[in-house]
Amino acid sequence: MSANKDFNVRWGMAIDLDKCTGCGACMVACQAENNLAPVADASNKLRVMNWLVVFELSNKKPFPDHELVYLPRPCQQCGEQPCATVCPVIATERNEDGGIVSQIYPRCIGCRYCMAACPYHARYFNWFDPIWPKGMEKALTPDVSVRPRGVVEKCSFCHHRYMAAKDKIRVGGGSVYVPGEKGRKHSAIPEDGYVTSCAEACPNGAIVFGDLNNPAHKVYRLTRGNAHAFRLLERLGTDTAVYYLSSREWVRRLGDNYLQDEETQKPKRILPNKH
Amino acid sequence: MVLDRRGFVKCIAGASAGIMATPLPWKLLDDVSIWTQSWPWIPANVRGENFVVRVVSKTCPSSAAVKVRLVGNRPVRVLPDDDHPLGGGVSALAAAEVHMLHSPARVKRPLLRGPDGAFMDISWSKAAEIFAGKLKEAGGKSAFICGDETGSIAEVISALAKGLGSEDVCLMPSEGQCAAKAAELMRIPGQIGYDLEHSDYVFAIGANIFESWGTVVRNRRIFRAATPHPDGKTRLKARFAYAGPVQNNSAVLARPWLPVYPGMQTALALGVANILIAGGRTADALDFGAFKELALRYTPKKVAQITGVDPKGLESVVNALLAAEAPLVIVGSEFGQGAGAAPVMAGFAVNALLGNINRPGGISLLPWDEAVLGGASSRSRLYANDLAARVGDWAAGGNAPSLLVVHEANPLYALPGAIPAKQAFKNIPFKVAFSSFLDETAEACNLVLPVPMGLERLDDVRTPYGSGQSIYCVSAPVAQPSEDVRPAADFLFSAAKELDLKMGAASYEDLLKSRAEGVVKTDFAALLAGTGAVSHEKIKVPEGYSLCPAVLEKNLMQASAETSFRLAPFVKLNLGTANTGIPPYNTKTLRASELEGKDMFVMMNAATTAKAGLAEGDAVTLEAGGRRLPARLRVFEGVMSDTVAVCLGYGHTALDAFSQNKGANVMELLSAVPEPATGLTVWSQAGVAVAKA
Repeated sequence: MSANKDFNVRWGMAIDLDKCTGCGACMVACQAENNLAPVADASNKLRVMNWLVVFELSNKKPFPDHELVYLPRPCQQCGEQPCATVCPVIATERNEDGGIVSQIYPRCIGCRYCMAACPYHARYFNWFDPIWPKGMEKALTPDVSVRPRGVVEKCSFCHHRYMAAKDKIRVGGGSVYVPGEKGRKHSAIPEDGYVTSCAEACPNGAIVFGDLNNPAHKVYRLTRGNAHAFRLLERLGTDTAVYYLSSREWVRRLGDNYLQDEETQKPKRILPNKH
Repeated sequence: MVLDRRGFVKCIAGASAGIMATPLPWKLLDDVSIWTQSWPWIPANVRGENFVVRVVSKTCPSSAAVKVRLVGNRPVRVLPDDDHPLGGGVSALAAAEVHMLHSPARVKRPLLRGPDGAFMDISWSKAAEIFAGKLKEAGGKSAFICGDETGSIAEVISALAKGLGSEDVCLMPSEGQCAAKAAELMRIPGQIGYDLEHSDYVFAIGANIFESWGTVVRNRRIFRAATPHPDGKTRLKARFAYAGPVQNNSAVLARPWLPVYPGMQTALALGVANILIAGGRTADALDFGAFKELALRYTPKKVAQITGVDPKGLESVVNALLAAEAPLVIVGSEFGQGAGAAPVMAGFAVNALLGNINRPGGISLLPWDEAVLGGASSRSRLYANDLAARVGDWAAGGNAPSLLVVHEANPLYALPGAIPAKQAFKNIPFKVAFSSFLDETAEACNLVLPVPMGLERLDDVRTPYGSGQSIYCVSAPVAQPSEDVRPAADFLFSAAKELDLKMGAASYEDLLKSRAEGVVKTDFAALLAGTGAVSHEKIKVPEGYSLCPAVLEKNLMQASAETSFRLAPFVKLNLGTANTGIPPYNTKTLRASELEGKDMFVMMNAATTAKAGLAEGDAVTLEAGGRRLPARLRVFEGVMSDTVAVCLGYGHTALDAFSQNKGANVMELLSAVPEPATGLTVWSQAGVAVAKA
């Protein structure tokens, strides 16, 4: 259930924190794409559904040396999922080529163990039934079912777009795989054929999406051997599929709970060879 | 028959095996799990054929080009249009546009204020009758406010006003208006454009180019293309520097961010000019000698005293400008309005010293688009009318019009508190609002006429301010209006017909077609398909252009208010505009450090907080000009010393639950003064007192 399965294709992100302005367009695009209901008062962040949150990071230095960085946090799509390990009903698992951690709503019994287990706080519980202002339900997309009160949900890397891209190839009579290096198979979906809604919306191109196993993809080049790449809570061993890029040391250091005197680990040492 | 122990065990084992063998319980369990999540009040997905239509957003002030995804006839998503000169991503506001079609704040049908003061529903024919009657009655005593500076609707309003004998047509204050005034005074007969596409180093002074200045989505797309991702090997070249009082969405990407006091753009730009002139740079303006004499007085040391900027930081940015092949300096308001013409003039002078006027990557002088309708004022002419000054006159009572028509604008919310807009409204006997949303202004009007949103109507966009090239776009309606609305332009054409006024076109579509085919020389059908018509035509730099040193000097002499702290408003597009309020889908983008329940947070750095005797989380009152504003304090080190940063967009009293009574409207605190020598009303420098509530 929680073994780190090695898939031919592993969808992942490289989020460039040097480019994010924190504008929130990705958050709005995510909600609209995945049919999250709006709320009039969203100040209670423990009760508000957000598959993607943009956090504000500070170097904590006083004015005028203060620096600010915004960090968008989707589900990290772990290779070793703390959430799937604890789910009593297999409502969440990572069992499909692409390495996306699923969330099967009809199976979810709302126990919220997965929320407690997720070190990234990327999972959200529907405390209330979703309510759209009258008529706004007409703007729901047909791709993602609406979740009721009582279930947990999270970012799915816009899995429905993956399915649609594969369907498009199948309808054209093609194979969804093409031969790759070292006996691997790569997805036949072109690099821009499957992109998450957040990555698509960002005017700054801060979110790069693609196959972490495919050398032809930009995300592969950005994450392998890049001294400016890091992952959140790297030493926890969750093997996340979301990488962050920052040219600032203090930002990379915030990626894990380093002790005050502890040296920030060199990314080449902490990044595993496998993706 | 006796059931012994063995028999009982057999029975249980048999039943267990039977249950395991039949799919029934699993099927039932599966069904139950689905049934318990499919209640009638949970909306179901509705499938349909997928279409994508290219449009330019009329809701987002950045004029973002987007694609709208339709399922059947329902618009469901706003997607980026990477192939359009104004596209390449979506803003947080444009992304929420399809949901705003169904916003609870939409005006659903024409409303007339009854004798008891409450609104009552009326029919469109009744509304047309009342409107035509009021126009006839008021004649030349009619006044108009238009909130759409890029659309041809302003021309329709102007033509109607002319027909009635009125010159009172004003656009809402904007950066474009300040730039138009600057161009007029500098004797430049064109629109100032910024060729960001070809610039390799941009220094923005005040102008929040990634959030509120100009063509934001385009600006950000250009930044994306020009900036590689960090790879840990190559040292990334700095391409963008920002000077402003708040570490805003632009400052966060700047290398470096130069903190300055609010409203100090002109002095800072002169500081840049000083270093450039000291280094031997000249410009071929008629009055360069006088400008040089003025600029040389603004040494980096003096500029540091006035603006609070670090002289070394300023010199490093100027060195970067000099080292760049195509440097560009953009000077504008920190919150998209009210800065006046002087900062734009000073910015133009710096660009002239850098030798980049009409050069790739520099300032482009674009031809103004002329009016198509006979008798209508051109856009440049409309910019010359100062709404704030007019409203002041109306409030004084003497020149108040008999009829005021407000088109897609919310002056009661968006004008500074010092401008007595509410009093002006009281002095006007009959007010009409064309609006998609029941905002503060619509609520104060006698007749409210609901208009379709941008996605529901035929409309156009003429070269938005900030664009480096002339561009004309037409947006076709992508959805049937969800309410009983009528396009304002069509309604005005009908009213003109009723009054026997000649408009010069039969309909709005006719007007747009005439502009496309007669002026822009482009196929109208191609424009309707979403391709913008781009022209690279530029006007020549006039030989006798002026850098207006006298105007700049007068502005620099203007003393700022004597108060303890300076107010630095800033803009975030996710909070919508004055017209839209906070879009329903955007409340979740507000951080806990920005809004908590009804309390908004204002920001000061730790040293300023200590100076004010306050602490993090304190309930505070900001006071200026006798007007007070409640807030809570957030200590944020990304704010200039002695400065209070406040976000615009809160404090709506109208609209819907997504906007109402969240924080307070910082515009209430702003004072308005005439800009010396230009006459434009400005409100970029405000002092404020901060006290514990």
